[in-house]
Amino acid sequence: MGIFLCDCGGSLKNIDFSKISGDLEKLEGVAFVDVSHSLCLEEGERTISSRILSEDIDRLVIAACSPELHERKFVTLVEKLGLNPNLLSWANIREQCSWSLEDDVTEKAKELIRMAIGKARLLRPVERRGVPVSRQVLIVGGGFSGMKLAIELSKLGLGTTIVERESILGGKLNEAEGFYGLEIGPRRMLSLMMTAIEEDKNVEVLTSAEVRGVRGEVGGFEVTMKRAGEEHSRGFGAIVFATGYRTEISPQNSEIRPGVNVISHLDLVEMLRAPERLERRPSIIGFILDVCDENSRLPTISALNNALAVRDKLGSEVYVFCRNLKVDSEGVEELYGEARERGVVFVKFDEAPQMHCDDGQVVIEARDVLLGEEVVLRCDFLVADERALPSEGTKALGSMLNVGSDSQGFYQDGNVHLYPVASARKGVFFVGGCRGNMDLARASNDIASAVMSIYALLGPGETVIEVEKVKVDRDKCRACLTCIRACPHGAIQLLRLSADKEAAQISDLACDGCGICAAVCPAKAISFEGYSDEQMLAELETIGK
Amino acid sequence: MIIAERKRFEEIRSMLAGYKKILVVGCGTCVTICWAGGEKEVGILASQLRLASNKVGDELTILEATVERQCEREMVEEVKDKVQQVEAIVSMACGVGVQTMADMFEGKPVFPALNTTFMGMPEGEGVWTEKCGGCGDCMLYWTGGICPVVRCAKGLLNGPCGGTRRGGKCEIDPEKDCAWVLIYRRLEKQGRLDLMRKYYEPKNYRAVKRPGKVQAMQA
Amino acid sequence: MSVGRDNRIIAFCCEKSAYLAADRAGRMRLCYPDNVRIIRVPCAGRVGTLHILRAFEEGAAGVLVMGCQEGACQHLTGNLRARDRVRYAAALLREVGMDGERVKMVNLAPDTAEKFVRAVKDMAEEIKER
Repeated sequence: MGIFLCDCGGSLKNIDFSKISGDLEKLEGVAFVDVSHSLCLEEGERTISSRILSEDIDRLVIAACSPELHERKFVTLVEKLGLNPNLLSWANIREQCSWSLEDDVTEKAKELIRMAIGKARLLRPVERRGVPVSRQVLIVGGGFSGMKLAIELSKLGLGTTIVERESILGGKLNEAEGFYGLEIGPRRMLSLMMTAIEEDKNVEVLTSAEVRGVRGEVGGFEVTMKRAGEEHSRGFGAIVFATGYRTEISPQNSEIRPGVNVISHLDLVEMLRAPERLERRPSIIGFILDVCDENSRLPTISALNNALAVRDKLGSEVYVFCRNLKVDSEGVEELYGEARERGVVFVKFDEAPQMHCDDGQVVIEARDVLLGEEVVLRCDFLVADERALPSEGTKALGSMLNVGSDSQGFYQDGNVHLYPVASARKGVFFVGGCRGNMDLARASNDIASAVMSIYALLGPGETVIEVEKVKVDRDKCRACLTCIRACPHGAIQLLRLSADKEAAQISDLACDGCGICAAVCPAKAISFEGYSDEQMLAELETIGK
Repeated sequence: MIIAERKRFEEIRSMLAGYKKILVVGCGTCVTICWAGGEKEVGILASQLRLASNKVGDELTILEATVERQCEREMVEEVKDKVQQVEAIVSMACGVGVQTMADMFEGKPVFPALNTTFMGMPEGEGVWTEKCGGCGDCMLYWTGGICPVVRCAKGLLNGPCGGTRRGGKCEIDPEKDCAWVLIYRRLEKQGRLDLMRKYYEPKNYRAVKRPGKVQAMQA
Repeated sequence: MSVGRDNRIIAFCCEKSAYLAADRAGRMRLCYPDNVRIIRVPCAGRVGTLHILRAFEEGAAGVLVMGCQEGACQHLTGNLRARDRVRYAAALLREVGMDGERVKMVNLAPDTAEKFVRAVKDMAEEIKER
């Protein structure tokens, strides 16, 4: 093996490189120890290239700065020179050694390098291979998010199929009255998007269609769909859920039941579309917010928009009862400001208001936190508190792919901070309302993120896998199902090998390299190249000597 | 599947007092699947024994092995060489495996590291529950596929004891379901409630049943 | 800060959080005891009970298993499994008459360099007292 030490331009002064070099050269199996000033620059690359090409070495140890910085570069370099990148072992002697102490750290550096050497001895090559992937993307749900995603993906040359449960596209765009702060209205936006889709050869639309089942994995999902009573299967490289949300008047408002005077936002919107049909113009309309749902971004936006619409179209007095107003969406702070300017009165409560019907009107009693007084309002209509929930069928759809839901039933991100639109399952994404607590600007962000991720995955038409990096030893496998149940990425299946033998099979494509299966296997039948038990123990054993 | 649990460390350690070279042998079948005595657990026990000995300065050499099925003579035979090198054997198999080892290597003491508990199935990750007691006279036809012999705390054969708690829980252990409530509901679902009327005679324990022996017909 | 064989603290660091936090600690030139040896793992869930016990067999005085904050593991359950295994390993150590406090689970985010340093220093103190 060859060892490269880097002193980072001579700046790692608390390490005696010549001493380490001298000691390491004596170790068994070490062909050479090279000390360089800057492995990351051209001269370093040249040194590595010439050594690999001229000497008979089959693995490398690099002792330098953190692998987080240059690992990828060296992997590419080494691969080009004909050495398998898995035969590279790293010792972090800068950030995690030289920089973390002022005193001399030669002994610590030497030990870290010896740990890397111990591991390097046991490394085995892992073949990298390109596998073709389907560039067709399935989008479940043809609302705003689904349609926009299809249009954006098409711009990058990826074909999409939108599967929409209803007979028309549009989702909530068909219901909404207007967007605050946008020149364009929902109707016009919908019509523009539909035209764009109709003219786009890359986008296929299947309405009145449903997804029935999914098999396979990223790059080659096999999806069974039902349409007009017939089922058929299609292949897709990635799947995106854009199934949106629904609203519900919460039963917690137990005093209040939807009825003539207690209406939903949707009822109100319909009323406002044809105000001339009303018997008489309502003089006072009340809104309630924040009683049933703490995460009331969408209901808040609806309420503010509709309150303004009432002022415009009916001229009625409007009172909004709320606990906290969630204005963190783009433009909503202004919306709130405008509502107040136009005479909408906000009553802030702490305890939920009491409501009852009396003589054709709705009476709301609440304690205004700012006034410190009881407020009693008699209104002609009460627009009830609503919460946003995942659309019907969200859970069933998610379970087809083993995609998790959060506590409210919305789709759960793979990692809240790093991968918001991706599920834990490679190749399965979600955008828009089905992620919960959404607004138009955030949905657009989701779409932009998803487009990038999907293109990175499928764009090239092929994906590079590390062949059998994590592998099940079929002789040792007991088919106990532990790994299959434990894998967070759904990458392990039970494979029937013969009439009386089954074993777990890991998909290289879907595997995310976490090693949970290797740790959990009770028969120790799973090996993980690069982080095998033996390799990790070799690192530990160095410390013992 | 046979379910077992590892004994407490002190108990295992005390069996090994005075022995300086031992073999810890696991089994790759039931006890691997219920996480009690597979290759992984052999490694863990061996590690603990080494740590414990080092702590007090005792000398203890440990060989490790795992046999695919410790109740098969041919498979147990494979560790013959290792057995010859040691003074005693710690078997991490179920009671059957321990005895197979003991029969095969009569000259060496074989100690059990596990307590074999019951025949059961997984209920959740890392949780197994008892389903069958091997009574030799299966009555699951009459009880809708739920065994009262082991799932009823009192092993009653003809209906609940009358002490069933609210929510269908057992009088003796309120964490557990009353088996007869489960049986009733199951038979109701299948439209076979008339079977509840069947009187089940007490099991005949006079006939010598132990140790059991079965002669199968030709394979 | 003496360097002796029996003073080692092995820190299994998840490459998505703790390893990055350790790098950051270096960039910020935060000093911590030199008896720490970091072993990089793809996820805290890769660390098995046996790895922890073997670390002690090889002479480690303390073991830290460091992973992402709960709820933020890219592999969903990796850090939860690690936490349970650390608890189990502590119990196994106690069975053997060793101190269960010598192995600890630490959850942190990739930029919390101070937390990394704090965890390491706390363990170093812990070891000194026993």
